Formats: sequence, structure tokens, C-alpha cells
Amino acid sequence: MTTRDIPRDETDAAVPAGLRPLPVDDAIERRFKRRTLGDMDERTLGLILLIPVAVLLGLVVVYPVGKLLWTSLHTVRLSEPWLGRPFVGLLNYRDALADPRFRDATINTVLYTLITVPGALIVGLGLALLANLPFRTRWPVRLALLLPWALPLVFAGLIFRWFFDSTYGVVNDVIARLGFDPPLWLTEPSLAFAAICIAIIWKTSSFMALVLLAGLQTIPRSLYEAAKVDGAGPFQVFRRVTLPLLKPAIVVALIFRTITAIQNFDIPYAMTRGGPGRTTETLAMYIHATTLDFLDFGYGSALAVLMFLVSMAATAWYLKHIYGTQA
Amino acid sequence: MKPTTAALLAGAGASALAFAATPAAAQDLRVFIGGQQRPDVVRPLLDRYQEANPGVSIELEVGGATSELQQQYLTTVLTSQDDALDVFLIDVVRPAQYAAAGWAEPLDSYLGDERDAVLDRYLPVYAEADVVNGEIVALPAFADAMFLYYRADLLEEHGFEPPETWEELMTAASAIQEAEGDDNLQGLSYQGAAIEGANCTFLVPYWGAGGTLTDAEGNVDIDEAAAEQAFGFLLDTIESGVTKANIAEVGTDDTRREFQAGNVIFAINWAYAWNRFQTDEDSAVAGDVGVVPLPAFEGGEPATCIGGWQWAVSAFSSNKEAAVDLVRFLSGPEGSKHLAINASNLPVIPGLYEDPEVLEVNPWFEFALPVVLSARSRPQSPRYPEVSDTIRTEVNAVLAGIKEPEAAITDMEARLQRVLR
Repeated sequence: MTTRDIPRDETDAAVPAGLRPLPVDDAIERRFKRRTLGDMDERTLGLILLIPVAVLLGLVVVYPVGKLLWTSLHTVRLSEPWLGRPFVGLLNYRDALADPRFRDATINTVLYTLITVPGALIVGLGLALLANLPFRTRWPVRLALLLPWALPLVFAGLIFRWFFDSTYGVVNDVIARLGFDPPLWLTEPSLAFAAICIAIIWKTSSFMALVLLAGLQTIPRSLYEAAKVDGAGPFQVFRRVTLPLLKPAIVVALIFRTITAIQNFDIPYAMTRGGPGRTTETLAMYIHATTLDFLDFGYGSALAVLMFLVSMAATAWYLKHIYGTQA
Repeated sequence: MKPTTAALLAGAGASALAFAATPAAAQDLRVFIGGQQRPDVVRPLLDRYQEANPGVSIELEVGGATSELQQQYLTTVLTSQDDALDVFLIDVVRPAQYAAAGWAEPLDSYLGDERDAVLDRYLPVYAEADVVNGEIVALPAFADAMFLYYRADLLEEHGFEPPETWEELMTAASAIQEAEGDDNLQGLSYQGAAIEGANCTFLVPYWGAGGTLTDAEGNVDIDEAAAEQAFGFLLDTIESGVTKANIAEVGTDDTRREFQAGNVIFAINWAYAWNRFQTDEDSAVAGDVGVVPLPAFEGGEPATCIGGWQWAVSAFSSNKEAAVDLVRFLSGPEGSKHLAINASNLPVIPGLYEDPEVLEVNPWFEFALPVVLSARSRPQSPRYPEVSDTIRTEVNAVLAGIKEPEAAITDMEARLQRVLR
């Protein structure tokens, strides 16, 4: 027997369907159903909610990286389409390891990183400590900190190219006024390299300073007061209180800065285009030339994969040596 | 209610049909040129075409101050097969690459029976440069070659004639520099930065010394004696102080700007500079500029680099018919004459070198035709960007003093042999 056979059918028919009370066993069935759905959710809800992110990451990370790897194993040369796109295995990588231009660009990139990352850290730490002083009006200091960071990299490069221009630049003007022989900044390889490093440190130390300033502000004032009471001098306070508590912020800033330093492109490109000769060329610039100028996407992809490995190695080193000892 | 809805629907349908049928909707063209190719002069030419062809609307996009930057932008658009651009200008060194990559729509089928007649009206060197494997890749916009600009007032004041040899040029430049006693006055300016122009900086004296890049079979073979003479001459300009010490930082438009500011006695540059020297408001040398063919080495033949730009139709344009029609107008006599008069761009059509209106503005075009006709081409190759990168980087390194000429010549030859095999 079902509920429909109960002889109250006629009165029910007069009530609109939506207002009719549900038959008892239907209601039980629904509740039961809802509960089983809920049970399944606990196992799958997380995964279901992750789908949009997974799809997004798949589209913008996995697909391009996969395509990059695929391309790096093939000959893809748009300038010679009759070659087709044959699979060549690790040939592009073998060529890269024997390529003196790749070697020089890698050495340059590592040198830039070794000089500009600590350089930006020192300058940035100084700036952050300055900005953390109890000024009455803080905004001019904070604005001055933000400006270089907000400036597009290429603009910074172009501005510094003019600063260091041998004939019209302000740097040589000052040097000449001081009575010295103005050097040829962008014609002499070591000077060009130094000029680029100065521009990079100027540009990137404000990012360092911002991250470190945020870190500084999380250090409780009471610790400084306690240190003072115990008779610690300013240097001791800095070494024993500020630095250890700032370490997490420093590590984060270093990792970000190192990765962008390995990808260094804009400033040397705008200042020297890699010249004189190829003495200031970075890896990213060589990859750019190989793909966009020479249209050799296979070889360029292999170079990009190698650069990615360099970045990964640097990050792993940080995590092991700095985070590792902290934990 | 119903009749109104029906009427609205019918109206919408009709207007949609009308929209699709109006040629205006289908004839929006986008043209891309570089900042150096005088957008202020090209725009009125496009306006003229729009007036004659109602329903066509042309947008002009400008980008890239140098040949390489322009090329990089086009590479980005064309490798992604974007239909955003319909017509663009390409450097005379590029047609082989565009044909190989399939970026330029071959124009033969659009020209039909007129194909040969269209090609025949141009200077032969461009008709050749724009045809790759028998197909027309582009049509010439304007011709170009490198010339020697000089300060007519300074030469006259110090009693010098325009030089016919590099030796005469060096003598005159040194003497005038010394007599003027101005530290900022450069004797000779050319392009030493690692840009496209630096290839010609080397090739001009190299060809002048009798060198060629390839032997009779087309294999790369650098004439070492000629290359050493060429580098020797360039280094001599720096050591003697005729050229400024940081010439390795100087690009094409830097040469133009410094001459225009009155800081240079002799300058090697393309034809566009004439118009800028004579008509720019900030020009300090207007009326004092002379121009002659590039000098030769004593007892040698003069040589110059061929330049010029070509109108091409994008293979990914969604409006090729209209784009081809526009290119035919731009590369025709009217377009060439407009550019010659307003931008001192050398004409691609021989007859215009005798046109009184053109000669009135550019009297020196009278002797320019033989120079253009004898100008030589940089190597043609689908891998030209690598050829160019090789030569200009070695030239830049030698001029910066960080590489010996012998080492540069050896490296250049080795690399070119691999690229141009």
C-alpha cells in the first residue's frame, strides 16, 4: 500500500501542490539521501572545490611548462619551416652545454645575482631601518621607498643609461667637475657591468626594504625595552634582537629577489643590450634573442629549461641552508 | 504586443543583414610602421586613400624606434598568427625570412595579369629583393642607401671640398676639429652600437676594400685583408680623435641627433636624415648641410649599403583583398612621391628622380639614383637575424676595444659559415 491509496485524496487535491505536506516516507527518504550526500562530500568536497584552481593552474602553469619541455626536445625553427618539427631528444641541451655564448651568459647571470642580491639586501635593510625610525611624518619616507619599486624596470634602465652616458650623462658631469677624467661607462665592459649592478641595486633594494620593514614592525617594542634595561648597546640590540627576529622576512625577501635576479633582463637590455660585444648579456637576454630574434624556439626552450633549473637550485639551496637551520 | 515584437525582430534581422552587407564593416585596416618611418607623413597618405575609397577606414599603429624593435613586435604578432595587423612595413633585409616563415601573403594571385607590369616599374634591386622563390612577398615603399652628410659651412670656412676618399675625410675632419678647438665637435659620426646599422658600418669599408662575404659558389669566405683594412680604418677614426671614443654606444638616430645639434662635421647616415636636418624646428644646421656619396679608399671604388622598406600584407589578415589594394596604392607612384617630398625618402620608381617637385625639395636626388643603383645588399637569408647579430656584435666589440680585429674576423667567419650553410 502506498500513501496515494489513503482515502483523503479528494481534500488534498483542493490544496495547491506546493503546500501539500509531504508524505511521511518521502520525507524520510529525502533526509536519508541528504545524509549520504553529506558523507560523500567529506571525502570529495575538498577535491571538488579544488577543481577550479587545478584547472586554472593547469592552464597557466602545467600546460606552458609542459609545452616548453616538449618544444625543447624538438627542432622548432620558424625561420626554416621546411625542417618540420622533428623530435631530436636531448640534442638542444647538448648544443647548449657546448655553446660558449650560453656559458658566458650563465656566468654573467650568476655574477649579477651574487653582486646585486646581497647589495640590495644591505641597502634595503638600511632603508628599512631608516623608515622604521619614529618620524613624525612617515609618508615622505615611505613614498621614497615605494617609488623605485613602482617604476617599470625598463624605465629604470633607460634612466640609468642616461645617467651613465659618457658624453651627456650626469655621472660623468659630476666626475668632470671634480677634476677627474670621465670614464666611458657603457663602452668599457667592467664599468658597464658595474653601472648595470648599481641600477639593479637601486631598483630592487626598495622591494627588499618593503618586505623587511613589514618584518621589523612585527618585532614587539617590549623586547627592545627589555634589552635596553639589560644594558645592551645599539649594535648588540641589532645583532641579538632585530636580526634573529627579522630572519624569516630576510629569507622570503632573498628568495624572491634571487629568483628575479636569475631572470634579470630589463635593466641590462635597456642599458647596454648586452654590449659592448656580449660582455653584459644575461641568460634571459640570450633566450630572448634565440626565440624572438632568431625564431629558434626549440633551442630557446632548452635554454629556458636550463635557466629554470638554475632557479630551482638556488631556491633549494636557500631552503636547505637558511630555513633548515632555523627549524 | 506580438506585432511589436515581430517588428523589432524583423528590424533587428534586417539591420544585421545590412550590417553584414555594408563594405565599411568589413574594411577596417590596421597598418603598422616604426617611429623612424615618419608616421606624421604616412598618415596624410592614408587619409588620401580613405577619401578616394569611402568605406575603408585605416588605423595607423606606430611602434619600435629601430629595425630590430619593429621586428620584435611583428614577430610577436605573427608567430601567434594574430589577425590584428593587415599591412606592415618590413626592412629590405627581411623578405626572405617573411617568405620562409609564411608571414607575408604572396601577392602574385592578387595582381594577376599585372604582376610583371607592377614589378617592372620599380628599381631592379627592389623588384629582386621583394621576390623570393618566384613569389612577390612585398612591394617597395621607399629606397634607401647610406650617404655622407657634411657641414657645408665648416668645410667652406676652412677651405675643404667634400671628400671623395676616406683619407681626405680624415685630413679634413682633423684639421677642422683642430682649428675650431671645440672638444664637443666630432669629426665623423657613424653607427657603432650593436644595431642593424653596425653591419653597414663594417660592410661599407669592407666592400670598399674589395671584400665580399661569399665566394663564387655562395660559401661564406671572408677576405681577411679587406676586413683588416676595414677594421683598421674604423679604429683609426677613434684613435685619431676624429670619432668620439664611445662610438660603440652610438645608434642611427644618435648620429642624426648629434649632427643636427651641430656637434658633427661628417656623418654617415640614411636618406631620411636630410629632411630632419633641413626642416626640424630644433635643427641647428638647417641650410648648412651638404650630402655626397660615401667616399672610397684611395685608389678603390666607393661602396654603400642598400636599405629601404617594403609594404607587406599579413598572411593572417582577415581582409586581404582590401589590404592588397591599399599596398598597391602605397607602393605606387603617388605614395612614393609623397614620401620623397615630405620625408626625403628615396623613390622606388626611377622616373621620380627627375620629377621637378621632388627635386625642388631634395636637389641632391639628382646624384642619388646612381648611388642607389650601385648600392650593395646585405646577405639574403631566412636566418638573416643571426647573420646580423653575428656581424654587428663583432663590430661592436672591436669598436669598444675589447676584441682584436683578427679574433673578430675569425669568429665572424666561423659563425656565418654555420648560419649561412
